[in-house]
Amino acid sequence: MKKVEILSAGCPKCKFVEKRVRETIEELGIDAKVEEVTDMSKIIKRGVMATPAVVVDGSVKSEGRVPTREEIEKWLK
Amino acid sequence: MNNDAYLWVHKMSGILEALWAGIAQLGEYLSAHVVTCLIPAFFIAGAIAAMISKRTILKYFGSKVKKWISYSVASVSGTILAVCSCTILPMFAGIYKRGGGIGPATTFLYSGPAINILAITLTASVLGVGLGIARAVGAILMSIVIGLIMASIFERKQAKTRSTPAVEVEETSTRKRPWYASPAVFVLLVLILLIAAPSYIPLYPKVLVVTALVIATVAIVRKHYSKDEVGAWMQETWWVVKKIMPILLIGVFITGVIAYFVPYDWVRSAMGGNLIVSCFVASIIGAILYMPTLLEVPIVGTILGYSQGVIGAGPALSLLLAGPAVSLPSMLTLWRIIGARKTAAYILLVITFSTILGVVFGMVL
Repeated sequence: MKKVEILSAGCPKCKFVEKRVRETIEELGIDAKVEEVTDMSKIIKRGVMATPAVVVDGSVKSEGRVPTREEIEKWLK
Repeated sequence: MNNDAYLWVHKMSGILEALWAGIAQLGEYLSAHVVTCLIPAFFIAGAIAAMISKRTILKYFGSKVKKWISYSVASVSGTILAVCSCTILPMFAGIYKRGGGIGPATTFLYSGPAINILAITLTASVLGVGLGIARAVGAILMSIVIGLIMASIFERKQAKTRSTPAVEVEETSTRKRPWYASPAVFVLLVLILLIAAPSYIPLYPKVLVVTALVIATVAIVRKHYSKDEVGAWMQETWWVVKKIMPILLIGVFITGVIAYFVPYDWVRSAMGGNLIVSCFVASIIGAILYMPTLLEVPIVGTILGYSQGVIGAGPALSLLLAGPAVSLPSMLTLWRIIGARKTAAYILLVITFSTILGVVFGMVL
């Protein structure tokens, strides 16, 4: 099972990314768990500098921007 | 009527009056001249978010980049970047840990929340252009001075520990367009803001010029930007509005209600005039209090009564300079990143310079 973390500052943009990730997972029928991380010191520990960031199985895939659906699909495969 | 009932009626009418004060305050902030300022500012903020990658800025920080470049970029990048200190902290940590040095990192940390375009616009349109400009200039100067002092205190010991290069930046620019397209759009947007905002420009010429500028902007954007890029701009603008407006509207209402209960005699005795003590008290309050983005404006204008002349321009500026930069929650996060000593030094510097600039501004005015 994949573990997807959305590092988020609770902003509308972060919420949008989280929604898009959840939708993509549902569409593809992938076995994945999505978790929202909002604790700023945890985010900093990851070395992420801009929210929203998407982390799949521990590796940072994108930060500070909204990834496209195609990108998300690629990361989840 | 017996005494209890009389007291009850009295209390109820007090509450109603307080609520009314909140609504009146809301009306003031939704008045034409504030809204005409904020709308262009939102579009500018959206354009910045859509067109400038946050990571591009990071390449100006690193042990190999010339220091004066780092400091100058750090001091103004806040206009471009954040709308609140919560997004600044991770970037600050990144710059600091990846070899940007405590100096430029601190400059960035301070200027970020203090000089974003929405904050300056709102300050200028509600509290006056003088205070708006003083806030922008004061924040830029202060950020550089504080950064340099932090570097001179702490840098020597750490100079050799890390020499990692600056962050690598992936270039995302895909579409070719003439070099002048993006600057032209920004200049036009800023012109719209500057012409739409001031109340001394008569309505008709204003509408005419703004319409012309809007048409010019649309023309350039349609010619040189793809549909997706424009879509991204509008999306970002909407996100900024969605992030800011609810808090701003609720906050403005609440500050209006609170102001009804503020003992202004007390405020006047603590912060009246432009004395050093007044500016110092204002700086301390600003440093401790957590103020959601933009709410420092109604806090200064209404709760502390700057608009009614309760506090002077000096303490008002002190509070605006110390307020958004530091708060109790941000102190705690900062502590975990850079340690107690640097955090303490940073806070002391912010309070000191906010006080000094407030006193100077109070004397000049």
